Amino acid sequence: MNGEAPMSLANKLQFQFMKDLGAPALMALNQAGKKKRAHKPNPDFGPPLKSAKRLKEIMSRHYFLARYARGARPVAWVTSGAPVELLRAFGFYTIYPENHGALCGAQKMGTKLCQAAEEHGYHPDLCSYARIDLGHHFTGLTPAGRLPKPDLLFASNNICQTVLYWYKALAHYWNVPFLLFDTPYNFRDITDSDISFMSAQLREMIPALERVSGQKFSMERFQEVVNLAHDTSALWGQVLATMSHRPAPMTIFDAFVHLAPVVSLRGLPVSQAYYQLLLAELQERVSKGIGAVTNENKRLMWDNIAIWYKVRDYAELFASKGMNFVAATYTNAWAETIHNLDPAQPFESMAKAYGLVILNNNLNHRLNLMEQMIKDYQVDGLVIHSARSCKPYSVGQYDMKRLLMERLNVPSVVIEADITDSRHYSEEQAQVRLEAFFEALES
Amino acid sequence: MDRQEYLRSQKEDKGRKVCGVFPAQYPKEILWALNLAPAEIWDPPVSPELAAGHLQPYICSVVRQGLELLLQGKAGVCDAFLFPHTCDSIQNLASVVNDYIGLDKPCHFFYHPKAPHGAAAKVYYQEQLKALARGLEPLAGPLREDELKRRVAQGQRVAELYGQLYGQRAAGRLACSNAGFYQAARRGEYLFPDDLVPYLEGFLQGAQGTAPAGPRVLLSGVLPNPPEILTLLDDLGATVAADDLLACSRRLLIPPSAANDPWQALTEQYFAMPPCSSKGSPFSERLDFILGQCHKSGATGVIFYLVKFCEPELFDVPILTEELKKRGLPCLTLDVELNQGLSGQMSTRVEAFLEMINS
Ligand code: SF4
Ligand code: SF4
Repeated sequence: MNGEAPMSLANKLQFQFMKDLGAPALMALNQAGKKKRAHKPNPDFGPPLKSAKRLKEIMSRHYFLARYARGARPVAWVTSGAPVELLRAFGFYTIYPENHGALCGAQKMGTKLCQAAEEHGYHPDLCSYARIDLGHHFTGLTPAGRLPKPDLLFASNNICQTVLYWYKALAHYWNVPFLLFDTPYNFRDITDSDISFMSAQLREMIPALERVSGQKFSMERFQEVVNLAHDTSALWGQVLATMSHRPAPMTIFDAFVHLAPVVSLRGLPVSQAYYQLLLAELQERVSKGIGAVTNENKRLMWDNIAIWYKVRDYAELFASKGMNFVAATYTNAWAETIHNLDPAQPFESMAKAYGLVILNNNLNHRLNLMEQMIKDYQVDGLVIHSARSCKPYSVGQYDMKRLLMERLNVPSVVIEADITDSRHYSEEQAQVRLEAFFEALES
Repeated sequence: MDRQEYLRSQKEDKGRKVCGVFPAQYPKEILWALNLAPAEIWDPPVSPELAAGHLQPYICSVVRQGLELLLQGKAGVCDAFLFPHTCDSIQNLASVVNDYIGLDKPCHFFYHPKAPHGAAAKVYYQEQLKALARGLEPLAGPLREDELKRRVAQGQRVAELYGQLYGQRAAGRLACSNAGFYQAARRGEYLFPDDLVPYLEGFLQGAQGTAPAGPRVLLSGVLPNPPEILTLLDDLGATVAADDLLACSRRLLIPPSAANDPWQALTEQYFAMPPCSSKGSPFSERLDFILGQCHKSGATGVIFYLVKFCEPELFDVPILTEELKKRGLPCLTLDVELNQGLSGQMSTRVEAFLEMINS
């Protein structure tokens, strides 16, 4: 017997009620409260993005409805690189612990939750997204109100092996089924054998997904979702591409936040509609020459996941110097390989799209990609976040820094930090390094 | 003959090429069949100098020491390198070496599917075996199927001998020190099977006797390094009666396959190997294995001897410890760096632990 929740009519009705009435009412209340707390505009930034309001509504609604999902919809906890399209075809309500980890980090709850996991034996050297999530498991603490327990855990090791170890632990604690989409690392090029292996795994998962969700697999529905995910990710790619304009209409720090729907709601109409809205706004800004940073004079690239507890500080610091981050390998990850998605061949194309993501690809690929992005986005300098949590993203950065300097003469700085655990951030060290970087940029 | 001399003699006297192999799991039999001598790189005794320019301080010392060996030019005996996909750190190390540091030797990669394994994983594993063989052929010449078959049989003999070695130890019928046991067991990291088989046979014969009567423990983790843990246990009259080490029992205790086809035999053997954190084996399997080993060997406590920053192991330990304790097996966890010895505080903790399990 495992821990899947039986679907009940009462839960379904409650969920539907909240979806139709409860969530909109809550959003309205929330907004009313927010209006009173408007921030004083910072002259270093252009006008704020109007779409941000809609983004907030979407994500708040997603987390709000999550509280009522268990027992009404099958619930899956999913890693950011997993092929969620397959789960969408079965109607799963999905929770992204990494996105939740980022939320905890941004709200400065990361360290507290990490410590809760450490009290249960999880070493402080382990990925802090995992520790936050395990800390949440042990304490129930979250800035999102409440997260529904999963009926299924779904991970792909295309971003790291960490998720395999982490989800395996969750599966043990909750006694729920765990599905792994195993993506062989591309030491060189992806092979036909890799693609067959990955697509066969997706097919093998169908009986388990049918059992947990209580729904039959529909190829037609699956293809629709794949199509939607393709279009959404393509829109996300277009959103990012607007930053190749001078001045860039948004910053990478905006993009870190605005990528939430493509990560967490990919394959749902709401995320596609959101990026249409955002893209239209950005295009309008481009046509009017409105920049995200008032006096954009240097254009930068970010490597690795954000330092979530420093996003605002960094945004302000760089903007005050007329520096704008216009590209990041991280935000690009949800646009880069998605052109491979093809509803006519959903399994094979998903294998390619998900098997080729940046962290599952060799470092030569990463270097070439960065070189291309530096050229496309006219980047003057690079900030490399060496994230203690994330070995697959971080190992190789020192050489990358050297090679980019040799090849393109682009100065860069390495900031030793962590994505959410602020105990690994030294303000003093970062300041010293950033000062030297600013000097190198000016010279 | 020490390891370096042995590997040089493999080249000079036997005309074999040498392949440096990073941790952990790979199909040795294919290398043997290609007349390649595998030389595993786990904990080379090199002083840290150059690797810090390429790796962050939060990367494990297995990866750091391995890279250090290459950067200091001390792996000159190797004609090629093989990186099995063990963890994120080894994965990226492989790419740093292949793509960034300009090493002029061929690098190969071997991916093994992660658990939970479905039917596709078995098909894929076999394809990976064949792809590895094809990849090594330009260096080693064509692989002959009959030679592979012979080497698979030889691999089964090696596994049988390791099985006996572990079995004798578990039964208390080996009169050798902990340090001596692992010196012998780890010879398989570089001896060619033609030499390894007689070596293990000789060792088994020579070490027959009665084990000391002191406390018996199971050692878990990646590898028995720093080796001071072994001498400390020896000094305290304790026996490592069984292990769950990634470098040792998890790779050495391989149940033989009866398949006639060598590719099939290698595939079946891989999936029958003891569970391992690096493969994502479920906790139930890991617990069954550890408990089974303790039961067979009379070990009454478990020491987790962990390489600092080793994600696969560090993630498994909290649940393993909790479950083992529930079943009455006390556990001790030690975080270590390769070749750095044991601190006085750690030695005291080991001593106290042994007293506790012996009382
Ligand atoms: S931060 Fe890195 S290690 Fe942690 S879950 Fe994300 S990709 Fe994996
Ligand atoms: S010690 Fe752990 S992290 Fe390091 S190479 Fe071995 S398995 Fe990987």
